[in-house]
Amino acid sequence: MIEVNRLIKVFEGRGQIVRAVDDVSTQVAKGEVVVIIGPSGSGKSTFLRCLNGLEEFDDGQVIIDGIDIAGSKTNLNAVRREVGMVFQHFNLFPHKTVLENVTLAQRVVRKRKAAEANEKAMALLTKVGIAEKAQEYPSRLSGGQQQRVAIARALAMDPKVMLFDEPTSALDPEMVGEVLDVMKQLAREGMTMAVVTHEMGFAREVAHRVLFMDAGKVLEDAPPARFFTAPTEPRAQAFLKQVL
Amino acid sequence: MALKRQAVQWPWHGLLVVILLGLAIGLWVATKQVNYQWRWERVPQYFAYQEEEPQTAPVAGIVTRISPAGDTSEVTIQPQPDGAPVTLTVETATLKVAVGAPVSAEDEIGATRHWRIGPLTLGLWVTIWISFVSGFFGLIIGLITGLCRIAKNPTLRGLAVLYIELIRGTPLLVQIFIFYFFIGTVLHLDRIVAGIGALSLFVGAYTAEIIRAGIQSIPKGQTEAARSLGMSAAETMIHIVLPQAFKRVLPPLAGQFISLIKDSSLVSVIAITDLTKSGREIITSSFATFEIWFTVALLYLAVTSVLSQLLFWLERRFARSD
Repeated sequence: MIEVNRLIKVFEGRGQIVRAVDDVSTQVAKGEVVVIIGPSGSGKSTFLRCLNGLEEFDDGQVIIDGIDIAGSKTNLNAVRREVGMVFQHFNLFPHKTVLENVTLAQRVVRKRKAAEANEKAMALLTKVGIAEKAQEYPSRLSGGQQQRVAIARALAMDPKVMLFDEPTSALDPEMVGEVLDVMKQLAREGMTMAVVTHEMGFAREVAHRVLFMDAGKVLEDAPPARFFTAPTEPRAQAFLKQVL
Repeated sequence: MALKRQAVQWPWHGLLVVILLGLAIGLWVATKQVNYQWRWERVPQYFAYQEEEPQTAPVAGIVTRISPAGDTSEVTIQPQPDGAPVTLTVETATLKVAVGAPVSAEDEIGATRHWRIGPLTLGLWVTIWISFVSGFFGLIIGLITGLCRIAKNPTLRGLAVLYIELIRGTPLLVQIFIFYFFIGTVLHLDRIVAGIGALSLFVGAYTAEIIRAGIQSIPKGQTEAARSLGMSAAETMIHIVLPQAFKRVLPPLAGQFISLIKDSSLVSVIAITDLTKSGREIITSSFATFEIWFTVALLYLAVTSVLSQLLFWLERRFARSD
């Protein structure tokens, strides 16, 4: 479903050159849940953002469902419809109600009728357990509720892949669970997911594979059972010692 | 003992009243010094006045009957030597004939009165609609320029910067003269078009900077979220960024449009009869210089206050989602 070949992303600034993503190749199969972990500044968020072209990469190839997203004939907007994304800071549209947040892209991008979009939105809001807040504005919701709305908003486009960029990092601890529960349910339903997170419990329980990144490189690529018990890389071992 | 104590307010209100009273007395004394005759009673006629239209006898004859009906009277004339009687309606106070009096054709019988709109009202109307039209075009120009200002294309960006700097770096009065005498002559523009053009370009440059700042104040995450859902750059702008930016720039935009109403007084220099020019014209005939300028100032104040209330109301409406 996702294929990444020799991806390179370089940041330049103040005379420094940072190789945020340094020659990364990997692939995510349909229905697979891949969790990317690593220390902060290791390039995991940048890598994830390259997957839907939010970050323009310098070299390499990203192929989503058979389409090269950097191809000269590729309509990036059409690719992004199929790739949902959930952000660390939710990024809900503050001037729209919860319902409008979930229906807007359906109507603008998918050209769905209002009734159809509303029906879809209410079904998804019910699924993430927040249907009663449909008419509220996002500012009236807690962080956990906002993030669940953001997930519903991404799902409303019927994506083939979901990308999660540290979805629980900005949440109060007691709200982390409600968001993770929604994500676990998605994983059980067979959604293809790439998740950048610091939630080791989620990685262990849900992930099919764990990628460990440091300094822009993927150092480990293993099933969670093996990664958490017997990591081969010294840096992965050091990192796990810190977080577990 | 509470930390927060109720401060005594009334001495300060009293001081305010004393200061205002002092100002009023000072003004009164000042006008006494210059020996100025206040003639406020002359002002209302410049808002609206009654015009008398003389009515003349259509034929020669004798007035046979005058029947008063309220303020008006019906005058019946029997043409001589013969013919059907003619009836005219005139204001009773202006009657110039009596029953039995002979009249010849074109003789004045009396007059009718009609309400006419005075020059102050006309000038106010011109100021309002010129400001409104200029504000409308200024907003469109400002929106386009503001978007060009943050465009990726260097040509668009350069043009926008040049336009903004050019307008902001020169006086509006000079711009109006250039627009009227140079551009107006080359393109054969009417003075009204030239005035509106100059004002629109002026307000557009300032609006562009306000809108640019508004757009740039919207967090990048909003654009990223919209683009990640598959919206195009234009769709993102229209549905996500601009509505939020507009809400934020409403207060500075309101200030800009209030300025525009006041700045529109400068078009009087190219002989557009707006409120200011009407005032100047009235003074030449009425000699009520102080009264007219005070009246003109109050009229500007009234228009800007209404606009500011309107925008304040709009702002509160938009604040619903906060």
